[in-house]
Amino acid sequence: MSDAPFSLTGFDIAGMERIQAPRPEGRVRLNNPTSHALEQGRSRLLVTAALFALVLGAIGVRLADTMVFSREAEPPVAENTTARPLPVTRAEITDRNGVLLATSLATASAYADPKLVIDAEEAARKLVATLPDLDYRQVLKDLKGEKRFVWIKRNLTPRQEFEVNKLGIPGVFFQQEEHRIYPQGSLTAHLIGLTGIDNNGLMGIEQSFDKRLRENSEPLRLSIDVRLQHIMRKEITQSIQDFNAIGGAGLIMDIKTGEILSMVSLPDFDPQNPGEMHDDSKFNRATLGVYEMGSVFKILNTAIALETGSVKLHETFETNHPLKIGRFTIHDDEPVNYWMDVVDIFRKSSNIGSAKMAEKFGIDVQRDYMGRFGMLKAPSLEIPEVGAPLVPNPWRQTTLLTVAFGHGISVSPIQMVSAVGAVVDGGILRPATLLKRDPNTEIPETRVISPQTSAILRKLMRLVVTEGTGKTAFGTGDLKAPDTLDYLVGGKTGTAEKVSGKGYAHKSLRTSFAGAFPMTDPRYVVFVMVDEPHGNKKSFGFATAGWVAAPAVQRIVWQAAPLLGVKPVVRNDPEVLQAMAIN
Amino acid sequence: MMNLDMGLDPQSNMSLSEKLGQISWSLVLLITAVACIGFAMLYSAANGNFDPWATRQIMRFAVGAVIMLVVALIDIRIWLKFSYFLYGIAFFLLIVVEVMGHVGMGAQRWIDLGFMQLQPSELMKVTLVMALARYFHGASLEDTGRITFLIPALIMIVAPVCLVLLQPNLGTSLMLLMVSGAIFWLVGVRLWKFALVIGGVLAAIPVIWHFMHDYQRNRVNTFLNPENDPLGHGYHIMQSKIALGSGGMFGKGFLMGSQSHLNFLPEKQTDFIFTMLAEEMGMVGALVFLALYTLLLVYGYVIAMRCRHQYGRLVAMGLTVNLFLYMFINIAMVMGLIPVVGVPLPLISYGGSSALTVMTGFGLLLCVHVHRDVRMSRRGMSDF
Repeated sequence: MSDAPFSLTGFDIAGMERIQAPRPEGRVRLNNPTSHALEQGRSRLLVTAALFALVLGAIGVRLADTMVFSREAEPPVAENTTARPLPVTRAEITDRNGVLLATSLATASAYADPKLVIDAEEAARKLVATLPDLDYRQVLKDLKGEKRFVWIKRNLTPRQEFEVNKLGIPGVFFQQEEHRIYPQGSLTAHLIGLTGIDNNGLMGIEQSFDKRLRENSEPLRLSIDVRLQHIMRKEITQSIQDFNAIGGAGLIMDIKTGEILSMVSLPDFDPQNPGEMHDDSKFNRATLGVYEMGSVFKILNTAIALETGSVKLHETFETNHPLKIGRFTIHDDEPVNYWMDVVDIFRKSSNIGSAKMAEKFGIDVQRDYMGRFGMLKAPSLEIPEVGAPLVPNPWRQTTLLTVAFGHGISVSPIQMVSAVGAVVDGGILRPATLLKRDPNTEIPETRVISPQTSAILRKLMRLVVTEGTGKTAFGTGDLKAPDTLDYLVGGKTGTAEKVSGKGYAHKSLRTSFAGAFPMTDPRYVVFVMVDEPHGNKKSFGFATAGWVAAPAVQRIVWQAAPLLGVKPVVRNDPEVLQAMAIN
Repeated sequence: MMNLDMGLDPQSNMSLSEKLGQISWSLVLLITAVACIGFAMLYSAANGNFDPWATRQIMRFAVGAVIMLVVALIDIRIWLKFSYFLYGIAFFLLIVVEVMGHVGMGAQRWIDLGFMQLQPSELMKVTLVMALARYFHGASLEDTGRITFLIPALIMIVAPVCLVLLQPNLGTSLMLLMVSGAIFWLVGVRLWKFALVIGGVLAAIPVIWHFMHDYQRNRVNTFLNPENDPLGHGYHIMQSKIALGSGGMFGKGFLMGSQSHLNFLPEKQTDFIFTMLAEEMGMVGALVFLALYTLLLVYGYVIAMRCRHQYGRLVAMGLTVNLFLYMFINIAMVMGLIPVVGVPLPLISYGGSSALTVMTGFGLLLCVHVHRDVRMSRRGMSDF
């Protein structure tokens, strides 16, 4: 055979020729009994090659076909959907991209006036034949009854309505009704709420916008993005499962506009089946519940200390001894035997250090700033389920020290998210909203701290993730590898001991993580809280925020960022490291 | 010509360095290149991390490459001599796995060796080719025309196929059958015999359907109409097609495939890795990848053509067909051309057992190339 295929495929021809010289002549072996078989094999080899080529070609064509010509791509985001005019009264509710969250369906219900029915037996037989899930005896009993109004069947499909109408039974009529449908099920349960039997709003957006939904048939567009909502719900559910927790809540906010992109409270309920709703699943942990936030509050404490100038960034505090206030003693989770500066206090989440920092600026300043951060009064939000914070009264010296690390004051997650947004976004607070903002309207802004303090806090929050209590969660992958991609999350963990009776229950915790990304120019704040987690094998028995809430935020950001159009950057890019360096 | 008279052709006693020079390094390079694409995809499948897949796959490939070179350097006559023996070992392991194997994912396919999980059906894919090649080595057309001559070979095929079917592993047993069919075809078994067998199988389909597991029936049903049950059994293939479609012409870019990274695509590191590649690299990338793979097949084919003895030719061709089937079944599956069968994409998919057998297969291919001019008698010894 020829050597042509070899030069085509790049075989080492030189080596080949070395051996070719002494090679025996092929023809000599023609008398060999196997040679005929070899010849036959050769022609069959060619057929095999042709088959290969055919199949490969078919694969190539099919590939081009599925990928480019008849693509089953992801459905395009419905940016400008105008709802089809339906003969219903209550307006639809959609997410920010026009995905339907609540809609109404016109249905017909069949009823009868027995007095007008001529032959009850025939009518009952015909009705049961058309609607086979009816019980003949029951229908007959109803039609022979004395009442002037009996339901035959409610909420018929249009087809069933047509069929029943076609029967032409005198005395059978239809009542037009309206059914509220929640296509996303429990995904937005606490946000949308639900309607009652008479189609009036009883909870959530359905309640607060009841009048608007009745009077204006334009769809009501919320700030929520169902994709983020799905990610958030999935990951918190996962954490609750993994750590055998009793509940959780999560929020994502666009801090440039104050729009809430995701709001989840678990356990939740199916708005289509309100009968199965429990008090616990009805309770909105994201906005109605107020909680002692624990160390997450150190973001605010540190911001106040640096903003007022009462503390310098590298000033050190006596953090090697527990701090006694009255009958309480403040401990650190990981006690150290040296004096820490503000950077270390924040990174290692030292309670003692934070309390000592608060001592420097005092009660009045603390109360003043907490008020500016919106911690002292209920936030204005477009749903009725908004909790008022539990504000310490009187505000004593003890309060000053405990508020520094997030105890003695209870706020809702939505308040926390807005405040953290203000801290990382140059110090400007924007009120949270559940409605999509019109890009042309002015967003009310309040300056709380200076851009300089905000910049330092961003670096500190980034440090928590790279070298502090959030490291376990965000230190995925090879940290030293020069090409590891990252979304530059920064944040603060919080593990609060839950109040039980008169004291704190050391074993029952509430863990949270408040983070923002990308830390070089923060746009989104993500908050996750997991209630009463229990350590598992994977977390080596730990149930602290670094093991529970922070990993959830990590998973959420890694899925949400691509949808939000945030591009990952190289984690160890010198420019990034420079921007996040603390001087 | 002295050598010829003595029956010693120049390749009979090559030194190690000569053999090393004879190895087709361009093929080794091509294999490595394809494997590197695999590493990149596994890196991407873990959202831009070497853990947990890429690092281990690289280590496995390194071990596999050493095995491949060792296999390539061993004299092909030794492989020929031990063909039945190796087949016997694989067959024995298949029995062992049937009796005391580790049950995983609803099927009994693995033997736990402590340091790794061994899948004897994978070993069988290589050793069956070797045993059949040994059997037909030196057989004349008259031989292959006689049914009595074919019966032992048929037994060699049917016995392991039945054991694999019992595991149950339909995909692998079909692959064993098809590779054996290809070898029968290449040694010149008459066409009417193929027609007879295929006709018999078609007639038996209703019976087979009756004995199939529910999950296997579901897969066939799903193949025929994936939109039937988009959240259940059709989920894999729907998501895969969506991912392919959203890849478009040039793809979404490395690490940017939303279908794969948002976990819509199941098994993206193993069976559906090609989908992920296509989503991220687009049609152009997928076609380039297909071209590289085709080049691998061309190499196998040319090595078979170029070989001067029946054993080497059949081994090379059998292994090439094997590789072709792996690739075809996997890619055709993710595109919805055939039902979902759990067949990995060699060199790309994450997995240990199949990676080692694939590398051993390439080793044998290289071995055939190195020893392409060795002269062997019908008994398989050199012509003394």
